[in-house]
Amino acid sequence: MSIMQYNGGSVIAMKGKECVAIASDLRLGNQALTISCNHEKIFPVSDRVYYGLAGLATDVDTMRQRLRYRVNMYTIKEEREIEPETFARLTSSALYEHRFGPMFVEPVIAGLSKTPSGGVEPFIAAADLIGCLNFAKDFVVAGTASDKLYGVAEGLWEPDLEADDLFETISQTLLNAVDRDAYSGWGAIVHVITKDKVITRKLRGRMD
Amino acid sequence: MDILFGLCGKGFVILAGDTTVAHSIVKMKNDEDKIKTLGPHLAMAYSGEPGDTIQFAEYIERNLRLDQIRNVHERRPEASASWIRSSLASSLRSRRPYSVNILVGGFDISSAAIVEGQEELGGTPKLYWLDYLGTKVEVPFGAHGYGSYFALSLLDRYHDPNASVEEAMGTLKRCIDEVSKRLVVSPSKYKAKIIDKDGVRDIEIPV
Amino acid sequence: MARRYDSRTTIFSPEGRLYQVEYAMEAISHAGTVLGVLTQEGIVLAAEKKVTGKLLDLSGASTGGYGGSGEKIFLVNTNVIVGVAGLTADASSMVNLMRLTAQRHLSVYDEDMPVEQLCKRLCDVKQGYTQYGGLRPFGVSILYAGWDPHYQFQLYHSDPSGNYSGWKATCIGSNSGTAQNMLKQHYKDDITLEAAIKLVLETMGKTMDSTTLGSDKLEFATITLDKNTKIPFAKIYRPAEVDALLKKHGLAKSEDEEMRS
Repeated sequence: MSIMQYNGGSVIAMKGKECVAIASDLRLGNQALTISCNHEKIFPVSDRVYYGLAGLATDVDTMRQRLRYRVNMYTIKEEREIEPETFARLTSSALYEHRFGPMFVEPVIAGLSKTPSGGVEPFIAAADLIGCLNFAKDFVVAGTASDKLYGVAEGLWEPDLEADDLFETISQTLLNAVDRDAYSGWGAIVHVITKDKVITRKLRGRMD
Repeated sequence: MDILFGLCGKGFVILAGDTTVAHSIVKMKNDEDKIKTLGPHLAMAYSGEPGDTIQFAEYIERNLRLDQIRNVHERRPEASASWIRSSLASSLRSRRPYSVNILVGGFDISSAAIVEGQEELGGTPKLYWLDYLGTKVEVPFGAHGYGSYFALSLLDRYHDPNASVEEAMGTLKRCIDEVSKRLVVSPSKYKAKIIDKDGVRDIEIPV
Repeated sequence: MARRYDSRTTIFSPEGRLYQVEYAMEAISHAGTVLGVLTQEGIVLAAEKKVTGKLLDLSGASTGGYGGSGEKIFLVNTNVIVGVAGLTADASSMVNLMRLTAQRHLSVYDEDMPVEQLCKRLCDVKQGYTQYGGLRPFGVSILYAGWDPHYQFQLYHSDPSGNYSGWKATCIGSNSGTAQNMLKQHYKDDITLEAAIKLVLETMGKTMDSTTLGSDKLEFATITLDKNTKIPFAKIYRPAEVDALLKKHGLAKSEDEEMRS
């Protein structure tokens, strides 16, 4: 068994039309034994940038703290909120610092970046545990159910979904994928980021 | 081999642990207290590699004491647990990591923890499950060691966050009895501590 | 006589004084006034700006950022704001140190750093510079306004020697004596935030050199608790908001005065 599977958990992000969604399951396990059924893996960076961390729970916590430190110092010194692209690069370099003794986490980033014309542009990205970024046009996944997530998302996702439809698509994708994964599940949390608000909903899945 | 339990009730949290110290197949001692009081409203139960456990527990105990002397007020349970987690996480990537699993039980008496409509409780009970990797999670109940395989399902069924002390001790007794019944190498004795607005004290486990 | 003992901070004079530390304090008594008033609902900070002039580019303060012109009042963490009096360059490095300290605490303890602990940490550093060889003490006094769940709203003052103390209302910088007296006369333990804002503005009006108040000479901030979330909310007023506030309290410049200045 890989250390990436030790605690279980999965994260997914999808692009929509002027909106993005990011979702994760809520399980925290110790191999096959479930310890907590309310363990969130997605954290806000600002009102329009969220990121999720799948992998070893201790490193998820450590990375969350390190990224928060860096983002807060960035925000207070730059006197503006970080752009999602910038945050992705920051995450990548924070991970690559540990190239030869990595943090066992795979980040998934979702946000809305500002365009010069004043509009918003959906942004998603994922990285591996040493920070190799993957900017996708459609969706990104990470965690123990990532292979299943790819399969379901490939079938359900379509371009230019409105916020409501995107919510439905990401929810169905995640719930159906984690049902086939013993290490993920126990309900889910979904955040849909639109230009004027973030909609957060908790979902009940197969609670077994 | 050690077994630890922890559960929250209405206005209190209970920690329990067995009292056996074993070396290979030999029981060396059966009155060891595996729960350390860390502050006026904070305690932790610990298990793991013998030697590491005591060394690490004393390191935590003395540093939290120093912290309290320096800052007058007691550190909140969440903050204390986070600091313990940070210590474990940095130890994990050191030359020789501590191999200690922990349940931190605390009672948060700060203004932010007083729930509206429940002022008489004087705060909020808190329980954190930590393992040697530095995994930290807040739980309504938790267990470490072989006990967890038997107790967690029982606690899923019987745990009540609004339980009185008597009810919670009854639930704890169920867990202990189940372990005694089903585990081959079950310990004979347990010790428990309760943490509430009045502080940390020992509590008798019903027979 | 003093010459022989004031070239180094580490040396006592025969009278048992540390001249460099006293000079640092002296530097502060010429700096722009900073005033703080504590209430049950929040804290009010106001500061007099010394660097003014119509050629000064303040576009950064009126849009973007978190408000303030970055001369006197700074955001340190979500639960702490500070007002500084003294050498601006020294103050910047102190503010930077405070921000780093607060963030480091947040990483390790996963909670906002308690206000007194932050103040104490900084005073340890300040004290160090009055003792260890060859260095000059920090020429800044700081007012810390913050909230934590242990002691709720708190107002602290620290000076270059590394002393700090908690206050209900206090003042640092030039004319601080006059301001202290005014605050002493008008402060009540049950003062509301609204009344505190008025008190602060009026006191500022009396102590400042110029006859009228305006956003070009004044920085203003409050820290309160969000009604719903109970999370501290620091607000550093933008120039337009400062002028609106002054107008509301009848302390603003009149139109023709504006023309003359």
